[in-house]
Amino acid sequence: MSEIVGVVGITHNPLMWSALDDPMSTDLDGVTANTSRLREWVSGLAPDVVVVIASDHLHMLVTSNMPAFMIGKASRMRAIHPNETRSFGLQPTELSGDHDLAAHLLGGRGMAPGFDFAFSDEPWLDHSFMVPLLLLRPELDLPMVPVFTNANSPPIPNARRFAQLGSHLRAAIQTATDRRRVLVVGSGHLAHELGGPRQFLATSPDPRFDEEAVSWMANGDLESAIAGSDFDRLTAAGNETYQFLNFITCMALAGGNPATFAEGTPTRFGNLPFFAWEDL
Amino acid sequence: MSRYMLNKVMWEVDRTDEALAAFKADTPAFLNAWEESWRRPVPPYPVGGSLTSRERVALETRDFGTLYAMGTNPFLLWQFARSVSVPGSMSIEQLVISFREAVLPHGYPDFFT
Repeated sequence: MSEIVGVVGITHNPLMWSALDDPMSTDLDGVTANTSRLREWVSGLAPDVVVVIASDHLHMLVTSNMPAFMIGKASRMRAIHPNETRSFGLQPTELSGDHDLAAHLLGGRGMAPGFDFAFSDEPWLDHSFMVPLLLLRPELDLPMVPVFTNANSPPIPNARRFAQLGSHLRAAIQTATDRRRVLVVGSGHLAHELGGPRQFLATSPDPRFDEEAVSWMANGDLESAIAGSDFDRLTAAGNETYQFLNFITCMALAGGNPATFAEGTPTRFGNLPFFAWEDL
Repeated sequence: MSRYMLNKVMWEVDRTDEALAAFKADTPAFLNAWEESWRRPVPPYPVGGSLTSRERVALETRDFGTLYAMGTNPFLLWQFARSVSVPGSMSIEQLVISFREAVLPHGYPDFFT
């Protein structure tokens, strides 16, 4: 049987990532400290595959075809789109996939009851997948399975469905017959705005939401997280806050347990999320 | 047109360096060719890719406030604004300020397509 060895929730802010090379200003000291801590922890877990839960930012998936949830099951995948190289300096690369695990998560030849994923044999990953990997495992040496969630184009699945996704993936990973040590990484934001009146304010658009959100994770309070993350509340927190829902998936995937590390790290890009679940 | 098709034209401009260069070099010509490409044989919407005069002016003049008020996807709009404006017509710092001033009066329009 496969084992979930760790669950991480982390920022994918590409501007933050490119600012780490600037030279870096002191407002990112907390980011580098948390990243180093989590990177070291992840290395010690000795995972042999990583499942990344992230939301394509209208790079691969646009509303001509927009799945609510999709799994990439290719054995090789390209990553980074041309406009991300142009805007953020992220370099195009290729990653290995884990076709067998992806196929198992999908339910095999006949989809398992409970979750009807879309799938892709040609996933093209954007920064929402790559920045967490570059932060946590810069060697990019682990095969990965991308789980795409729609958190950018309404209608967006509701928070309870994101929690159900986590429970489904937990059970599916734990019943995979190969003995894999599986690291799960969720990618998202706390309160965040882009393309609206509150973008780039050098602070969070909604510090109260951030405080609540971190406490939900720290306390393992899944029901409060679901209740506090309906569409209107997330919109009020910032028009890109929907990607917080990926952390609800993480908490459910971690069995609803409290995060052993939970922080909204203040930076000029807002409060950036860092969560880890060791008790699984 | 529709929010979907406005999103689509912005996405296609930003998608490749070649499309972006063509849009920046001659926006009316780019939009003419783009509209033509969506006329036949089966346009995705009853009006196909035909821009209204207001939409065309907004795209040609980089009127991001109007595009925002029309309900374009905010993330796509910002990426589009950044790509067509920087470098060239302004710095990123200038764009951040002018973009905020442009969208601020419009609050949070529905961007459901």
